[in-house]
Amino acid sequence: MTSIRTSGGTTRVASLTSLASLVAAALIGTSPSASAADTLDVVVPFAAGGATDIVARSFEPTFSQQLGVTSVVRNVAGASATVGTAEVANSEGNPNIIGYEPAGALTIQPSLKDLPYGPDSFTYICRTVSNPMFLMVSKSSDITSFQQLSDESQEQPFLYGSSGPGTLPHLAMAALTVNSDLKAQHVPYSGSGPAMNALAGNEIQIMADTETILENYDLRPLAVFAEHRVEGYPDVPTMQELGLPEMDFAVWQGVVAPKGISDERAQQYADACKATVESEKFKTFAEKAKAGIAYLGPDDFKAYVEQRVEANKQVLKDAGLTE
Amino acid sequence: MDVILAAAGDAFTWHALLAIVVGTWAGIIIGGLPGLGSVVGLTIFLPFTFGMDVITSMALLIGVYCGSVYGGSITAILINTPGTPQSAATTFDGYPMTQQGRVDEALGWATFASFFGGVLSCVLLIFCAPQLAKFAVNFGSVEVFALVCLAMLCIVGVSQGSTLKGLVCGMMGFFFSMVGSDPITGADRFTFGNYSLSAGLTLIPVVVGAFALSEVFVRFATRDDEAAKIPEARLRLPGLREIVRRGIELIRGSFIGSFVGALPGTGAAAAAFISYASAQKLSPRRANLGKGEPDGIIASESSNNAVTGSSFIPTLALGIPGDVVTAMMMGAMVIHGITPGVRLMADQAQTVYSLFVVLIIVNVAMLILSKPSIGLFRYLFKLPQGYVMGGIVMFSFIGAVSVRGNPLDLIVMALTGVLAYVLRRGGYPLAPLVIGMVLGPELESSLRRGLLISRGDFFAFFTHSGIASFLFVLIGLFVVWTLWSSFIQWRQHVNARADAVPSSGNRQ
Amino acid sequence: MLASLIHPRVLTALMLLLAGAGLSISAWQGPADAMLVPRIVLTIWCAVAALVLIGECAKRLPREGGGLSPLPLLMAAVLVAAIAMASLGFLIPILPLVALTLWLFRIQRPLPLVLGTLIIGGGLWFLFHHVLLIRLPALLTSGLI
Repeated sequence: MTSIRTSGGTTRVASLTSLASLVAAALIGTSPSASAADTLDVVVPFAAGGATDIVARSFEPTFSQQLGVTSVVRNVAGASATVGTAEVANSEGNPNIIGYEPAGALTIQPSLKDLPYGPDSFTYICRTVSNPMFLMVSKSSDITSFQQLSDESQEQPFLYGSSGPGTLPHLAMAALTVNSDLKAQHVPYSGSGPAMNALAGNEIQIMADTETILENYDLRPLAVFAEHRVEGYPDVPTMQELGLPEMDFAVWQGVVAPKGISDERAQQYADACKATVESEKFKTFAEKAKAGIAYLGPDDFKAYVEQRVEANKQVLKDAGLTE
Repeated sequence: MDVILAAAGDAFTWHALLAIVVGTWAGIIIGGLPGLGSVVGLTIFLPFTFGMDVITSMALLIGVYCGSVYGGSITAILINTPGTPQSAATTFDGYPMTQQGRVDEALGWATFASFFGGVLSCVLLIFCAPQLAKFAVNFGSVEVFALVCLAMLCIVGVSQGSTLKGLVCGMMGFFFSMVGSDPITGADRFTFGNYSLSAGLTLIPVVVGAFALSEVFVRFATRDDEAAKIPEARLRLPGLREIVRRGIELIRGSFIGSFVGALPGTGAAAAAFISYASAQKLSPRRANLGKGEPDGIIASESSNNAVTGSSFIPTLALGIPGDVVTAMMMGAMVIHGITPGVRLMADQAQTVYSLFVVLIIVNVAMLILSKPSIGLFRYLFKLPQGYVMGGIVMFSFIGAVSVRGNPLDLIVMALTGVLAYVLRRGGYPLAPLVIGMVLGPELESSLRRGLLISRGDFFAFFTHSGIASFLFVLIGLFVVWTLWSSFIQWRQHVNARADAVPSSGNRQ
Repeated sequence: MLASLIHPRVLTALMLLLAGAGLSISAWQGPADAMLVPRIVLTIWCAVAALVLIGECAKRLPREGGGLSPLPLLMAAVLVAAIAMASLGFLIPILPLVALTLWLFRIQRPLPLVLGTLIIGGGLWFLFHHVLLIRLPALLTSGLI
């Protein structure tokens, strides 16, 4: 019975308030964050409830509080997150819309497809979180090192999964097969979940993804796609340590606004973002959700995106995914 | 035992119960309104859960989900318009029963079958989750391909009298699902250079157009007919003897739903069609299916509500969300610091048990709330027909655009509505369109992945695994059976014609 | 004879066959791997649609009683509203559409018509857009309407 008591406390009170406001909203017709004339639209280019959406929805309340506006999360999903991203890009000069964007829509898709936006369609606000990617295999397999993986792939190529064509897991593995002796072929799935199901059933053998996936599904990391070894995984070597060229792949998220907004507004966004990322509330959430806070300010973020666009373009070209 | 009691204590707090009542009731209403489905309902309620504790937020979301899957059947039965795609198969027998004046009976069976399917899947979830999950992992791309092929064959079953027309509609639905990015290579298909089409067509706008809007158009012709008025919605739950008589149907539907739900990525609409197709082969009253037979409603509603419970199986056993709803539930857990994954059951037993308790209470709440909800719809449909039709048009627009916030979906919905009207006038069944669209993406991607895995050798599929071989044999038997029985029917038909020349009795 | 060929059912089947054939051209021009399944599906579509067309031509179909109906008007209004929403926002196109639907379904006295339009069109829009915060397409960048 003790555990019931511990789960109570403040969350219980908050939960009551929430429920009460829900009932009130249903009965009287007032909204939890009452609508004002200027509402900030926070576009999330995925369906509600997804991994990015959860972070965005935890980011949004503090962010709008810092900014002093009311805000609404709008899920505009589709086409590898490019539809929602395009919506932000198309709102040129609109000071009431921002996008909470994943890495792929900003730095991979523009090189892969003919999109109505490019890297220069945005005012870059900040990068919020970033998690390095790991190369991993199932714990039930007997492979314990990258060398062994590479050797065993010579006779019969392995299959690696991804959460879809042109996603970061795909790109990281494509870069690895191009730059090493590893022989592996790509099998795309419709998300990390189905790919994990396939890994559990040994339909695929390799997957590149973040720490969250690694821990949740009991996988074995063989290497990390990062410059330095990652805290908590002192035994997992970086690609460079394995004698391979440097490969830096991370799953990150950031905030962008359309271009053409005033410098003043951009600065307001940037300040609010910095304060949000540094807030206790967001930090607690990030720890729970295993999202690594990795703040970059407007200029650094812009430079980072440009650098990633170039790097990804090269990978796509090397792997034969684009001309 | 202590942990189960503690879990029940978590679930039986008054705010968890309040969340269940609010969520389930809202879910039934939202599901019942044509156009608004489970996803819209959950999106509405998701922001409220951020301030709640984990049990209350899951209670609210589970209530909305289960309620909406049941609610879809109400409008399917009353006005031939499934409130959600999951209930599309309920129209086959539900609406004919309404036309025969058996509305109360139809709603009663839909309600009881939903309750039964939901509870049975909870029981399976509680006692067999690890075993079922282990079995589901054996379903790789090739096995899923075989299973979906088998399900696709039910197009033949549901297009009574006009198999060819049903097949055209099935292929059309399949084609709709292929517009947009190719799931394997990412290349754009059938977008004709239009960027907004590269996001593809989604199910909800097409279903809303095909059923809700086209129903408005069809009713337009009979708008002055007294006879075409919407009947008064009443509920009469089946008696114990009736339930025992049809018990085997209830159990089969619930098991099919539970199993399909345990496979990641298939879902309740597919389960309902598969279950209906099996009833057409196995129900002792199969000759009556499609003409107002409660077995059809049972097959559809017991299986789609069974998915609500079993979709938690891959989530709890493997940490893999089975559908959009379990994905949201995992999100709710993450926010409260509970990491879903393989060790969830071991690390967070109390939370998991409370979730089981919540699921069962939700199903009971659904049974209790069915009467007031149907009462509300009775009141709504008593309004002059113009208001009802205006409301359907309005909800169609809201539902289509709020699925993913893409204005293109409105145009898709409007065009599908017009197309569906033309097809209905031409005698084409529309359910195959939905089946093609529901099953198409899974069929295609599992085939293409299977080809990648077998390195381009399609014939290797047949011997890929025991399960795969078994399913392919089943498909073969199904095809032979269908061809044989239609041959027999055709011969009887020819004989009958030869015997009695002047009769134009084209029995259907 | 000709009259039976332009029967709506025959025309519907013909339309389906032509649509399938047109899409097939696009499918056969595309890349072989991505278009593998579309080619199969469209081939079945065309073959079955051809059979349906033959069937409809062979059947002696009764003439359908024609006559002018305002149904095409309702259909056109739905289409126009759907297209207009991308640029005009949700509220402005939906009000005339709901009003037209009510009118065509015989709610023609001014007071019920106006009240019905305001409650069904405006009220539900307000409920979803502003209360439940399910954002519908908006005209102004502030999202007010």
